[in-house]
Amino acid sequence: MADHLQHEQIFANAAAIQLPAPTAWPMILAFGCTLAAASLVTDAGIGLLGGVFMLAGCVGWFRQVLPKERHEEVPIVHRPVPIATSRALVEHIRLSPEHRAHLPIETYPVISGIKGGIAGGFAMIVPALIYGLVAQHSIWYPINLLGGAGVANWRNPSTADIAAFHWQGLLVAIVIHSLTCVLVGLLYGAMLPMLPRRPVLLGGILAPVLWTGILHSFMGIINPALDQRIQWGWFLVSQVTYGLTAGFVVARQERIPTAQSMPFVERLGIEAAGLIDSRPGADPAQDKERH
Amino acid sequence: MADQTYPIPGTLDTTPSRGAALLEWVHSWVVTVDHKKLGILYIAYALVFLLVAGVEAMAIRIQLAIPHNHFLSAELYNEFFTMHGTTMVFLVGMTLIFGFGNYFVPLMIGARDMAFPRLNAFSFWMSAFGGLLLYFSFIGGFGLYGMGSAPDVSWWAYAPLTAKAFSPGHNTDYWALALIVMGFGTLGAAINTLATAFSMRCRGMTLLRMPLFVWLMVVASADTLIVITPLTAAQVMLIIDRYLGGHFFDTQAGGSATVWMHFFWIFGHPEVYVLILPAFGIASEVIPVFSRKAIFGYPAMVAASVGIAFVSLSVWAHHMFTIGMTSVSNAFFALSTMMVGIPTGIKIFNWVATMWGGKIRFATPMLFCTAFLFQFLCAGLTGIMLAVAPWDWQLHNSYFVIAHFHYTLTGSFVFCFFAAIYYWYPKITGRMLSETLGKWHFWLFFIGFHMTFDTMHFVGFLGMPRSSYTYEPDRGWTTLNMIISAGGLIQAVAVLILVWNIIDSFLHGPLAGNDPWDAWTLEWSTPSPPPPYNFETEPVVRSRRPLWDIKHPNDPDWKYER
Repeated sequence: MADHLQHEQIFANAAAIQLPAPTAWPMILAFGCTLAAASLVTDAGIGLLGGVFMLAGCVGWFRQVLPKERHEEVPIVHRPVPIATSRALVEHIRLSPEHRAHLPIETYPVISGIKGGIAGGFAMIVPALIYGLVAQHSIWYPINLLGGAGVANWRNPSTADIAAFHWQGLLVAIVIHSLTCVLVGLLYGAMLPMLPRRPVLLGGILAPVLWTGILHSFMGIINPALDQRIQWGWFLVSQVTYGLTAGFVVARQERIPTAQSMPFVERLGIEAAGLIDSRPGADPAQDKERH
Repeated sequence: MADQTYPIPGTLDTTPSRGAALLEWVHSWVVTVDHKKLGILYIAYALVFLLVAGVEAMAIRIQLAIPHNHFLSAELYNEFFTMHGTTMVFLVGMTLIFGFGNYFVPLMIGARDMAFPRLNAFSFWMSAFGGLLLYFSFIGGFGLYGMGSAPDVSWWAYAPLTAKAFSPGHNTDYWALALIVMGFGTLGAAINTLATAFSMRCRGMTLLRMPLFVWLMVVASADTLIVITPLTAAQVMLIIDRYLGGHFFDTQAGGSATVWMHFFWIFGHPEVYVLILPAFGIASEVIPVFSRKAIFGYPAMVAASVGIAFVSLSVWAHHMFTIGMTSVSNAFFALSTMMVGIPTGIKIFNWVATMWGGKIRFATPMLFCTAFLFQFLCAGLTGIMLAVAPWDWQLHNSYFVIAHFHYTLTGSFVFCFFAAIYYWYPKITGRMLSETLGKWHFWLFFIGFHMTFDTMHFVGFLGMPRSSYTYEPDRGWTTLNMIISAGGLIQAVAVLILVWNIIDSFLHGPLAGNDPWDAWTLEWSTPSPPPPYNFETEPVVRSRRPLWDIKHPNDPDWKYER
């Protein structure tokens, strides 16, 4: 450290600085190399000349650095170098602790997603049945469309077949509908805290529209017969009804802090002094039970 | 008697004559080992050849503007597009990056010179003489068409076109020899840059405090060391084939033309990254200064740069999808090429994030960098398209490919280096470039660029093959080619404005002062132009933005950087 400081001091007081001395030998060596290369397409004499230049360049260069590197003294010209800014005002980016795009600090409990899914599942039955009554004069039509896979003996069923009651179809439809609604409800519960501004609107309208669009584009390939029987407008209405209801129910639940915002030891479940707050109302010094 | 002195009547004029002064001035440049002077020589050399390559490009475009044109002979046309490509890559691109690297790497890390000043001079002169040797072929080359034959085998020079049977005379030899000579110059420059950055940094300048331009020069130099070697080896093999009866690329005698392709593209594709990485470095210096914000995600930018360099070494055969590789090879090179999109995507997001919420000043350097962001994104997207082997099978050797790489090299590399010229010209000369002329330059070049290269994608879609001398009028390419050529003319006018701006501002431009952009890296802490010793005292830095720390003593970066 002392050496460094001394070194700096010498520089600061010096009247001149040593820099490598200018020399033409590297250029002469480069010229010789080029002539040597060019001799292949010109004349052997050019190569010979190139060789002479290369030799001269090497010798000259070596004499520049051996036995001691040549330097020139460049006098220091003191010139003021102002380092200042006219933009002295600094604005810091303000970070809100709640601005967390990836890991929400609070989320809904798991049960809220299940509740939302069940509520949405019940709600979407209404437009589905209305569609069945209005369009096909049968409440079983939409149910059989969903649960058709459960009717084992169906091969290219007619509209009348689908509009009739089939208990296997009803059973399968209930299972598919319940499971899907609960699973999507869970997804809602996890997703809604991460959606900006109006999560219910985004989750309740945008997501069903996207989901319906994806299904619409795929269904023609996966199951063309089913695709022809689905009225996509009504389908969308059912999905949006589900989304809005599930979103509304989930959003009404009380939020709980996520584990990601806790210290690692706390996430491990370790309870120790300083790690967890005292119980409300208790004097920390007296709160032996927690400490 | 002999000791006596006698007064001379009258006075002695000790000032040298103008001729002597000029001679002394030229001599000082020829013998210089100063990194700044060598940097200026590199840049001036590159700009001269940029004009030469531009003239060649304009001649090509005039030839293609209308069908059945005979502005150029077919022979000269072949020579012009070969020399345009070779010149732009080796004499303009490589010299520009090492020119700016030479000038600014030592200044940015607080050093007095490059690590090996004499090697630095040798590297420049090898590059310079190599370029002159290449262009001497226009006079001295004896090829298929007689005396005065420049190389005409295109810049990638596929075998067997380069064999003696198809390329008699010496023009192909001039190409190979010139590239070997320039290659040694490039290797010297790369070694010097690495040694300087790793061993000459001032106190406090840790690797993770180096300016991003220096980092990108380091990465590009490391890539250069790896990729110039196979190119030089291939040129030597070609010379052996042509002069000593070798058969490396002679398919009739057990050689393989494909071997040449592998050797060339192992160099050729990473070469694009060698050129573009320093351009990224320029953008990483300009964008924060003109957005008034520190660069977003500095460590990620460094990691992405190193990542690009690594991945770029494993993508070369995407230039060879049409030779009939195995499906495994096709899949590997398609996927590895697409992987380049990850680190480059990181960089683009970080530049945009740097601009986001900043107080952006659209001075000319920033205009060029902003256009670069958009154009590089487009170039990357068409690159991903060409990385899909079946797509490439359709469009290989079409003008779509030409449009893609001009988007990369002109839309990205050239735009960034124009930004660098406007950004650092005040430091190099001590005078400001005219902003008015700069904006004329930018907008004309921007419009001309998009007229030319956007349209070129479509003419490629319509099936126009690259390197065509002319075409039939019934192909539907005529209007598009006319638009492309008109765009080229507009770009040429823009470049002439730049040349005028450089000359006029050097003579009459307003004085710049040491720090005209209110910037933060060390080169702005010394006078403009800097003295031969760069800094009176050795700088000491504590953060990535040492001048910010001095300008804002109450709010220095070192308080926040880890």
